[in-house]
Amino acid sequence: MTETLFEKIWNSHIVVEKENEPSLIYIDRHLIHEVTSPQAFDGLRANHRDVRRRDLTVATIDHNVPTTDRSLPMIDETSSTQIKTLEKNCKDFGIKLFGINDPNQGIVHVIGPQLGITLPGSTIVCGDSHTSTQGAFGAFAFGIGTSEVEHTLATQTLWLEKPKTFEILATGKRKNSFAITSKDIILSIIKQIGTDGGTGHVLEYRGDAITDLSMEQRMTICNMSIEAGSRAGLIAPDEKTYDYLNNRMYTPKNYDDLVDDWKKNLMSDANSKFDKSFTIDVEKIEPQVSWGTNPAMVSDVTGKIPTPEDFGQNNEIQIESAKKALLYMDLKPDTPIIEIPIDRVFIGSCTNARLEDLKDAAEIVKGKTVNSDVGAIVVPGSQMVKLEAEKLGLDKIFKDANFEWRESGCSMCLGMNPDILKPGERCASTSNRNFEGRQGSGGRTHLVSPVMAAASAIAGHFVDVREWC
Amino acid sequence: MIGNVIKYERDNIDTDVIIPGTYLKIHDYNELATHAMEGLDPDFPSKVKDGDFIVAGKNFGCGSSREHAPIALSTCGIKAVIATSFARIFYRNSVDGAFLLPIEIDDETYQKISNSDKLEINIEKNEIKNITKNEIYTMKPFSEIIAKIIAAGGLFKYKK
Ligand code: SF4
Repeated sequence: MTETLFEKIWNSHIVVEKENEPSLIYIDRHLIHEVTSPQAFDGLRANHRDVRRRDLTVATIDHNVPTTDRSLPMIDETSSTQIKTLEKNCKDFGIKLFGINDPNQGIVHVIGPQLGITLPGSTIVCGDSHTSTQGAFGAFAFGIGTSEVEHTLATQTLWLEKPKTFEILATGKRKNSFAITSKDIILSIIKQIGTDGGTGHVLEYRGDAITDLSMEQRMTICNMSIEAGSRAGLIAPDEKTYDYLNNRMYTPKNYDDLVDDWKKNLMSDANSKFDKSFTIDVEKIEPQVSWGTNPAMVSDVTGKIPTPEDFGQNNEIQIESAKKALLYMDLKPDTPIIEIPIDRVFIGSCTNARLEDLKDAAEIVKGKTVNSDVGAIVVPGSQMVKLEAEKLGLDKIFKDANFEWRESGCSMCLGMNPDILKPGERCASTSNRNFEGRQGSGGRTHLVSPVMAAASAIAGHFVDVREWC
Repeated sequence: MIGNVIKYERDNIDTDVIIPGTYLKIHDYNELATHAMEGLDPDFPSKVKDGDFIVAGKNFGCGSSREHAPIALSTCGIKAVIATSFARIFYRNSVDGAFLLPIEIDDETYQKISNSDKLEINIEKNEIKNITKNEIYTMKPFSEIIAKIIAAGGLFKYKK
């Protein structure tokens, strides 16, 4: 019988399976951050439970860390309390924490792969929806709720209903592989399959247009799988994957043997059956800009803001939601995307703040200056990314162009720390969610790639980055 | 279970509008509740009554895995969210923590239910009775595990 990659990973992690019932699945790696874990630790204490596999559990602090000078005391007391709570919980339960002053601190989904915690063929959970990022390594990586965090801490297993499989076949070659990024590919996919297109499914991205991507670009794609409602995203590992994970802090000692084994097993069998399938030709993809308040409301950069009727296509609810989105975003139908002025630019988040993202953005910025009406910041995805970028002199390029260069964290992706938009401000953001108020109450978010964000910062409005390189 | 409907005719009501990110630091449930639905309907905490139900379109609770979302709604008194579909983590958070019932209905039922209707939910019969309109709808039954977790009163009380 043929099996898909997902089915192979699932089957090799079953602890208990009964017909027509959920399965008990073994969890190989558990990552933790400060926001979704406090109640889970409270629960452990209340029930006198211990952490079952502290060696498979790793924590970091990312959501509400300040991105300014960390030698100064934190101003926000509630944030400070939440951080101290995680520090105490990790100490009490003996869990490794990459804390606020650790050189390996960073956004949880960035440090997992960077430290080699992520492994092909494994099951990885974190109380955070964008855990799907790590599916780029051929792992079943998915976000869980706080009760499930507690369950994983206590048992290293989870009761799960088996998701269905969804093949996303990406064919063709991007017309300009610098200006048209994996962010544009995934935004185009979500635009077409919708914010609930993947509900109940694990997406497996396949095809030449996917294998062509670097590991960091693949992570951007898997990261946003969750915005299509799916459970996780998955890409079969290959040489690029194995090279990336070699010689990292957590890379297992028997790595070469593991790689031999993975090479034999970790792929969907020829002719294996997916529950659903969707094909996209990347040759047709242009740089993308979101115009609305969910990640399916996206346009080609050469396009115009749609009318609600065109967007909704006879679906009343869709038409209504487009009307509300345009109202919130303060945009009029038929406005060309490139005429929309912006106030802020955020290059950061677990979607697009790895080294390549920053390198590409710096390439655009080099020798230019941010438009005087725009405030722009770069927030590296981890302290390690920051250090590597500084070794390449990227910090200087950004600072010379009037970008702010910050410490790593989630920052303006979700507005939990002081990095937020003011009401009415319009932001070109490399993050993953353009929901109302996501970057600060009343703030307006446009999702774009790092090169699009960089070029728009300089122009002061959206531009077609293909004309810049 | 009987309650009144607060209806939002919207799809994709995400966790960022249910409880904006800036409040995720709050550990106190009651304080969290004062910000419930703030991104969409700032009057919500003042108008919601204990026992009320939220009715909404598809993909309710999409976005972040924050458990704060079902906690904020349930602390306000919401006993069930009735929607045409749910995002998975919100769904499991609601059930696992026994915060509220996530109930799936079809589009037709969604259209029939109006704001302020009084409903009676009967999960044994998979039935929703609209007392105001004197109509009966069927709800999508819970899967086996979800039904067991609900009956047990949350994931941790559920023993295999
Ligand atoms: S960067 Fe944004 S999306 Fe990623 S983990 Fe942080 S808050 Fe979540």
